[in-house]
Amino acid sequence: MFRDHVKIAVKNLRNRLSRSLLTLLGIAIGIMAIISLMALGEGMQQAVTGQLSSLSDVIIVSTGGGGFASFGGGGSTGEYFTQRDVADIQRLQGVKQVSTQLSGAGLAEYNGKTTIVSLTGMDVGVMRLQYASQNLEAGGFLTEGEQNEIMIGYGIAHDTFDTSISIGGRIKINGEKFFVSGIFGKQGFGGSSSDSLVLMSSRDFQKLTGQSNISLIYLRVYNVNDAESIATSIQTTINGNHGQKDFATATTMTSILKTVQSIIGILQLVLVAIASIALVVASIGIMNTMLTSVMERTREIGIMKAIGATNLDIMSIFIIEGMLVSSIGGIIGIILGVFGSQGLTLILNSFMSMGGSSSLTPIITLMSVVLAVSVSIIVGVLSSLYPAWKAARMSPIEAVRYE
Amino acid sequence: MSKDVIVTQHISKTYGKPPLQVFALRDTNLEIKQGDYIAIIGPSGSGKSTLMNLLGCLDKPSTGKIFIDGRDISTLNEKELARIRREKIGFIFQKYNLIPTLNAQENIELSMGFAGVDSQTRTKKAKQLLEMVELSKRLTHKPSEMSGGEQQRVAIARALANNPSIILADEPTGNVDTKSGDNIMRILEDVNRKGETIIVVTHNMAIAQRAKRVLRIQDGEVREDHV
Repeated sequence: MFRDHVKIAVKNLRNRLSRSLLTLLGIAIGIMAIISLMALGEGMQQAVTGQLSSLSDVIIVSTGGGGFASFGGGGSTGEYFTQRDVADIQRLQGVKQVSTQLSGAGLAEYNGKTTIVSLTGMDVGVMRLQYASQNLEAGGFLTEGEQNEIMIGYGIAHDTFDTSISIGGRIKINGEKFFVSGIFGKQGFGGSSSDSLVLMSSRDFQKLTGQSNISLIYLRVYNVNDAESIATSIQTTINGNHGQKDFATATTMTSILKTVQSIIGILQLVLVAIASIALVVASIGIMNTMLTSVMERTREIGIMKAIGATNLDIMSIFIIEGMLVSSIGGIIGIILGVFGSQGLTLILNSFMSMGGSSSLTPIITLMSVVLAVSVSIIVGVLSSLYPAWKAARMSPIEAVRYE
Repeated sequence: MSKDVIVTQHISKTYGKPPLQVFALRDTNLEIKQGDYIAIIGPSGSGKSTLMNLLGCLDKPSTGKIFIDGRDISTLNEKELARIRREKIGFIFQKYNLIPTLNAQENIELSMGFAGVDSQTRTKKAKQLLEMVELSKRLTHKPSEMSGGEQQRVAIARALANNPSIILADEPTGNVDTKSGDNIMRILEDVNRKGETIIVVTHNMAIAQRAKRVLRIQDGEVREDHV
C-alpha cells in the first residue's frame, strides 16, 4: 500500500508542478544556507586549528592577566619582564629556546615629517613564526645578521607620513637610519592590529633605545605534553620574582587553540541558527501549500474514503507528499550548498584580505550532510502533519458533495 | 430464501437540536436481500442521499441500527467503517468521481490497493473489469480524456473491484446521454444477474421501473412501492 501512497503523492506533485517546485525551492534555499554556513565554520575551525597546532610547542608569557589578548600585540600594562625572569625560564627543565619581544617608543622621521611610533624588537626567527599568518604587501622578513632593517605595518607605510613608504625606503628612528625590508598587508577586522607595527631585531632595538623592555617572552618546549606544567611553573617563578600574584600569564598554544575553537564553535552555532530561520519560513511554505492542496482535493479525499481509504491512508498520502517535497528540496539544497559555500568563501576571503596561508577553504562534513537530510525530512513531516490531519478527518459525504 | 445483506431497524437521521431539529430520515425499517435490485426514488430533499450515505457507511444514523451482512455498523469506529466500505460496498456516483490524476486502470487498482491486494492481482483484475465494461482500449486514459459514459463505466468497474456484496449507485445515469445511460444500466443489471445486490437512487422513473423493488421516499419517510 505504501507504494500506492507514494504513487498518488508523486502524481499530485507532478500535477501541480510549478507550485511544488516553488515550495521545494524554499526548502532548498534553507538547506543551502545551513550547509554552506556549516562548511564555512568548519573551514574556519580547521584553518585556525591547523595554524595553531603547528605552534603547539610554544608558550607565550605576557605581563598582566591578558593571556590571549596579548598574543602578538605586546604588553599593554606598562610593566616589563627583567633579564632575571628570562634567565629563570631558561633554567627550567624542558625549555628548548627562549626569546623575547621588546617594546618601546621612538621618534620616526620620513620625508621631513616626524612622529612617535611604537617599536617592537624580537629575534628574527621568532618574528617569522609569530607573523607567519600575516600576508605581506611587499618585501619579506628581516634577514638574520643584517642590521638596520625594519618591517612596518600597512598604516605606517601608507597613512602615517605625507607620502607612502615603499620597500627600500629610508626612515630615521631616533636619528638612526633604517631600511624598510618588508611591509605587512592591511589587517582586516580580526586579530591585534599590525597596521602600526615597526618591527626590528632585538639587537637593533637595544642598540637604538639602550633599553630592553621585555613585554613578551616567547619560548618553545621539547615536549608538547609538558607545555601546561612548564607554563604553570613559569607563572609561579615570575610572580615570585616580582612579588605579585598575577604579574605574568603564561599561555600555551593548546589553551589558545581551545579558546579559539570554542569561539568559532559558538560562531558556527549562531550562523546555523540564522540559517534555520530560512528553513522555518520554508516549512511554513510547505504547510501553506499543503493546506491549499487539501482544500482543492477535498472531493478526491472524499472519493478515496468512499472507496475504502482509512484516515491513516489519507494522512500518509499527504505526509509522503510533504516529505517528498522537503527531501528533494534538501538534496538540491545540499548541492547548492556545495557551490554556495565556495562562493561565500570567495567573498569572505576578498573582504578580509586573509590571503596567504590563512585563506579559508569550506569543508563539507558528512555530519552536516546527514544533518541536512534528516532536518529536511523532519521539516517535511512536521509541516505536513497538520494539513494531513485536516484531510484525514474530512467527512466523506461532505467531501464527495464538495464542488 | 437468500440472506439479508442489509437490515435497518428504526433508523433516523436528524440534523440540529430541538426545537430546530430536522428529520432527514424517520424511523426506517428495511430488509435488503442478497441479489436484490432496488430503486430508491423521491423528489430532491426527500432524504434519498441521506439513506444512501447511511447504507453506504459514509454516515451513521442518529438512532437505530444498521446491519450489514449481520454486523451492526452503528457501533463501529472510523477505521472499521472504512474496512466495510472497501470490502462490502461499491459506490457509483452521479459525477463519476474518478481520481483525476490517475488513469482508468490506476483508478480501479486504487480501491484494491486500499484493500491490500497485491499488485499483480490488481493489474489482472483491473484489466478484466475494464474489458467487462468494454473499455479495454482506455486503460491508460485519464478521466479528462474520456466521455461521461466512459468515465461512469470505469466507475462501475472500480465499484466492482473488491467483489462487494452491495453496489450503491447514486443517479448513475444523471450526467450521461440516454444511450450511455441505457448501456450503464445494462451493465449493472448483468452484475445483478450474477448475484450482486444493486441499489440505485434515481428520479428517473424509466430507470426505476427496471428494478425489482422500488422504495419511495417522501419527507424522510420510506414506503415500498408494490409493483
